Amino acid sequence: MIQFLNVSKTYEECRVALDRVTFELGRGEFGFLTGPSGAGKTTLLRLIYREALPDSGQVLIRGRNVGALPLSKVPFLRRRIGVVFQDCRLIDRKTVFENVGYLPRVLGIGLRDRRRLAYQALRQVGLAHRMRSFPPELSRGEQQRVAIARALINEPEILLADEPTGNLDPELSREVFRVFRQINATGTTVLAATHSPALITEFGGRVLVLDRGRLVGDQRLVGRHGPDYLQLVQEEPRRVARRGGP
Amino acid sequence: MSLLRILLFFVREAYVNLRRSWRVSLLAVFTITTSLFVGGLFLLLSENLARLLEEWRSQAKVIVYLSAPPSADQRNDLLQKLERASWVEGVREVSAERAQQRFAEIFPSLADLTLEWSEAPLPESLEVSLAPASSGDDGLPAWLAELRRHPAVELVDDDRDWLRQLELLVGVFRGVGLTLGALLLAAATLTIASVIRLTAYLYRDEIAVLRLIGATEFYIRGPFYAEGLVQGATGGLAALAGLYAAYRLIRPQSDAALLGTVLVGDFLPMAQLLFLLVLGAAAGLLGAILSVRREAGVL
Repeated sequence: MIQFLNVSKTYEECRVALDRVTFELGRGEFGFLTGPSGAGKTTLLRLIYREALPDSGQVLIRGRNVGALPLSKVPFLRRRIGVVFQDCRLIDRKTVFENVGYLPRVLGIGLRDRRRLAYQALRQVGLAHRMRSFPPELSRGEQQRVAIARALINEPEILLADEPTGNLDPELSREVFRVFRQINATGTTVLAATHSPALITEFGGRVLVLDRGRLVGDQRLVGRHGPDYLQLVQEEPRRVARRGGP
Repeated sequence: MSLLRILLFFVREAYVNLRRSWRVSLLAVFTITTSLFVGGLFLLLSENLARLLEEWRSQAKVIVYLSAPPSADQRNDLLQKLERASWVEGVREVSAERAQQRFAEIFPSLADLTLEWSEAPLPESLEVSLAPASSGDDGLPAWLAELRRHPAVELVDDDRDWLRQLELLVGVFRGVGLTLGALLLAAATLTIASVIRLTAYLYRDEIAVLRLIGATEFYIRGPFYAEGLVQGATGGLAALAGLYAAYRLIRPQSDAALLGTVLVGDFLPMAQLLFLLVLGAAAGLLGAILSVRREAGVL
């Protein structure tokens, strides 16, 4: 579903964000993207939804080079990808329903169907009763769940989450990832960037470890019972350093 | 998505934008109103002048003053010459006595003056009416020059000479108005562009969200286009209302004053009112396009 082929990205200030990253995430996979701050997690996600372009290499979604897409086609790519951010990015002046139903509105879907779709998406995250509320009236966890509902409303093939639990307490974080797991169970490919080893070990899945722009780890964990993730993320940078570093 | 639904969405979003930044929007509307009002005022005045010119042109005559007294042969030759010319519609002879009588009618206080003279003070003349299509005829000036050289003719007075000068003046007046209007309209367009850029800046987070969920550029920019259009059209409507108010204000006094009659005889025709309205809306739309184009770096 998602393929990175030797992808490098350097920002203007000569900071290497990604360095020859290659991996493939299959359809319906549940992936974690982890690593220290500034490792390139956000850049990697941005390349998938064409918020940024690689300097070299290719990012393929269902075999199609995202970097080669004309600008006019980018919105259509994004409609197939749901994105959730740490800061939710909800529109405060619009109700929960309006926030969640924005994409169907863009697609020209009528009010009744929009309401039905928004209801379904919000029910998935347990917030169907807050349709008429405004984001500032919700807790951080609820806001994050609204953002997830917004990302889900078009039944995306891919769900990307960039530190979605960064501002949430452990219990709310687990709640968010439980939702992600449910969505993944319906066949959606999920890739979530997180700093939280606890969440990774608890929910398991494919774990991609980035460090200073390089992919230094790629393993599969089986929830709590898989290999110790803490050991993985702590040892990988050390191992890289021993090898001479990236 | 049906076009009507899209337009409704654009208008609704534009309304929200306008309400959110109503002060600067008012400024934009005011600038466009001012520019269209000034341009429209020049248009109103020049249209009335042009109408008056046309009226005067239709009544314009060539007055041929005869040398006193022309011989019968000279006189007949002159009359034949006039009748033969294709651009002459009619010739009316005005005797010296009739000229004196007219003078007395037009200037009653000076009538006594002519009575004191022993000879006829005013010459006999021929009033030549020209066919309406003759003004553009290239042969006419040469024919008039030939007429001036005729032995029976003392002087040829062509009304169209001063009408031409007046025409030139109206042209200059219209040119000044158009230039001023265009400059003000350009300023108004830039003001609208700035106002919309400001609105877009206020909504930059929402725009980012829209992009993220897959809204097309048309969908993102549409409300801003609608906003510019609404501002421009509102400015246009306000300018038309202002123009009409100015017309109504000057009109009652114009019956007494020649200048008023000349300047505001009629209000602008519907086509020109619509033109001003469309011009305002177009200026607003242009301002919006300028402000939210990709190169502007706002969106």
